[in-house]
Amino acid sequence: MLSYNLHLACASYRRNPTLTGLVAGAIAIGIAVCTITLTLYHALSNNPIWWKNDQLYAVTIDSWDPERPDNDKHPERPPPQLTYKDALALLKSDIPVHKVAMFKSTRVLDAGKADAKVKRMDTRVTTGDFFRAFDVPFLYGGPWNAAADQSPEPVVVISKEVNEKTFGGINSVGRTVRLDDRDFRIVGVLDTWRPAPTYYDLNNGSLENPEDIYIPFAWGEALELESAGNTNCWKSEQINSFKDFTNSECVWIQFWAEFSSKADHNRFQSWLDGYAKDQKKLGRFPRPLNNHLYNVDEWLAFNEVVTKDNRVLVGLAFMFLAVCVVNTVGLLLAKFLSAASLSGLRRALGASRRDIFQQHLVEVIVLGLAGGLLGLILSALGLWGLRLMFASDFDQYASLTHMDPTMMSAAILLSLLAGIAAGLYPAWRIGRIQPATYLKTQ
Amino acid sequence: MSIRPILSALLRNKTGAILVAVQIALTLAVVVNSIYIIVQRIEKIGRPTGIDEANIFMVNTQNYTRDFPYEATIREDLAYLNGLPGVVAATTINAIPLSGGGSSTAYFNAPGGKGEGVPGNYFEVTERGIDALGIHLSSGRGFSAAVIRPPMQRTSEFVPEIIVTRDVAKQLFPDTEPLGKTVYSQLSQPARIVGIIDHMHGSWTGWDKVGNVVLHPVTDCCKRISYLVRTKPGDRDRLMPIVEAKLIKTSGRVVNSVRTLGFYKDRSYSDDRNMAIFLSVVIVLLIAIASLGIFGLATFNVQSRTKQIGTRRAIGARRRDIVQYFLVENWLITTSGIVGGCVLALAVGYWLSMHFELPRLDLYYLVGGVFGLWLVGQLATLLPARRASRVPPAVATRTV
Repeated sequence: MLSYNLHLACASYRRNPTLTGLVAGAIAIGIAVCTITLTLYHALSNNPIWWKNDQLYAVTIDSWDPERPDNDKHPERPPPQLTYKDALALLKSDIPVHKVAMFKSTRVLDAGKADAKVKRMDTRVTTGDFFRAFDVPFLYGGPWNAAADQSPEPVVVISKEVNEKTFGGINSVGRTVRLDDRDFRIVGVLDTWRPAPTYYDLNNGSLENPEDIYIPFAWGEALELESAGNTNCWKSEQINSFKDFTNSECVWIQFWAEFSSKADHNRFQSWLDGYAKDQKKLGRFPRPLNNHLYNVDEWLAFNEVVTKDNRVLVGLAFMFLAVCVVNTVGLLLAKFLSAASLSGLRRALGASRRDIFQQHLVEVIVLGLAGGLLGLILSALGLWGLRLMFASDFDQYASLTHMDPTMMSAAILLSLLAGIAAGLYPAWRIGRIQPATYLKTQ
Repeated sequence: MSIRPILSALLRNKTGAILVAVQIALTLAVVVNSIYIIVQRIEKIGRPTGIDEANIFMVNTQNYTRDFPYEATIREDLAYLNGLPGVVAATTINAIPLSGGGSSTAYFNAPGGKGEGVPGNYFEVTERGIDALGIHLSSGRGFSAAVIRPPMQRTSEFVPEIIVTRDVAKQLFPDTEPLGKTVYSQLSQPARIVGIIDHMHGSWTGWDKVGNVVLHPVTDCCKRISYLVRTKPGDRDRLMPIVEAKLIKTSGRVVNSVRTLGFYKDRSYSDDRNMAIFLSVVIVLLIAIASLGIFGLATFNVQSRTKQIGTRRAIGARRRDIVQYFLVENWLITTSGIVGGCVLALAVGYWLSMHFELPRLDLYYLVGGVFGLWLVGQLATLLPARRASRVPPAVATRTV
């Protein structure tokens, strides 16, 4: 029966190719617009480390101004970063399995090769747990150990790109590179790692490339490094030296903790509250107690990675699809009714209303799928166009405009639904025609 | 021409008309709100910045050796840049205007200031700062060379004098003349306002107080040093590689980038620009699809009424009567869609303003959208209607 209906559908497409093309085209355009906006939305709301959503938490403490919250629009939110002294205090807790304290800086890299230009490099100054907590893949070597974080030792982890450019991609573990005016020994070379969005530090946009150079956190104080990310201060205090700065209420350190169990998470939350209460006794933290642990999903929402524009676009895109569907209903009605005499004949020869309905529904579903496939091609083209538009702005945009299998199946499902939504009424209508009307004039 | 017969013919075969009306309604809602958003974005991008954007480029350097002679280097660089033929003025600057990165602090109109203070996005510039930015002083004066703080490591020391935009001045001193007044830092250190800038945009283009800019007479220092260079019109692109080649020669530092100010501005507004482009494409496609729907319905109607048209022609209707018939029919359908569309458009506008903090839809746009869709409907009907008018009266006699 299905093959017969498919055969009839093909005959119908051949009978009126223009109208068939228009129907598939209308569905395709609607699907394409929806898929493109959904792809952007999906990519931005993507959790790049979903498997650790119950273990990995951004740690925040409300250390802000008693007069007003850090975020005027969301007064319930503590500032997204910690002060240096709080970060040091939190590193002392042994509840989390991994503790990441970090900030972004820049260093000038000199690989010691005569032909290679010295070049400024984005550098992450971080505890070695960074690589363990965020499951960063290594090509050679591995993270530095806790001892290297303490002293600090002159060790460095470099990205795959830097390793390729300076060492031709060989195993460079054990070699040294010069960062500013100091030699660092390479302990690890990263494999390709491009989380998008860059959930672990959202201070400077969500589509930045990960840093190329990683050095132990304690170098921050030893070399008096400042953040190249975001530093926020609220308190009127004298800051005349780096020591003053690390002692100040300025927030500039990102802090993450990974727990092995929910119980540890809860223990750490109470430990954190206890710490904040102790500090309150010392006259710090004038705001009400408000310490939060955010998992990655919550952290992406906190930082509003999916922008309002993304949401508006998705809403408008679905209205657009609705127009396409309504349009298709009209086109299908015209198409079916123009061949109504054939259906009349089938009915007169004994086909039931259901048979006619099914026949036309099959025709519509196939058309919807064809439109969906065409829509996928159109969306791929559209996304490619977007990539061209953005390419110069962000290297990471490629990952944003990449259609993954989820999106593709969503697009196909959407086109199927759109096809059925558009076809139900016309198919029902054609099933109800009186055969006699169409047989009379023959 | 009477509307009655058209209406009764319409009501006899409602489905197609309803479908088109629904399309019109949805189209109106989407198009009107999209255009409203686009216009806001274009206005936002086109706001005057007060800065001579077209002729400015940035040189961003970073030194990396211990005891790098930054003081001497800055002095040499500034002398070189300001002496270069084609350069109007050059200054060190602590942040790049319009780039999204910068510093801000609070200013108070009395010492020991409690409460909010006035937030100001501050730029540290030399005595050439005003000329380099190409901003216009409406009163007062620029900084003298003597008052510029020499390059210095971290300090909480405030500056003796500042220049503020009129926006900042108004917020600090709403009722009195701000020039010559003293403002205070968070630590209650005083500074005198010596000049008022007409208008200037700071670092954060998305900030509602983007015009809250303050200039400090300070030489930016010490690790990462940026120069803002303004050239004579037409000289910018020629000078950029020359300057890079010269500055790169200093040992112990790298030139991170040499870029036009326009690069940073474009990057800051890229979200707005892309939103406008995306919505424009959606609008064009949507109107095309809606017109197709209208065109399809009219064509279908003309085909199925060929005999009736012939009959009307045979009993004396002129060709323009036939054209008019279809145009009026379309107008009725479009209008019914528009009525629903107005409600829908306002609902969407309300939704956008509630959830996305967009301003409430301006009704002018709705009126414009209504007229626009009337026009689109009539144009899309015109072709089938004219084909209908060419149906010969003889058709009426052919069959039956």
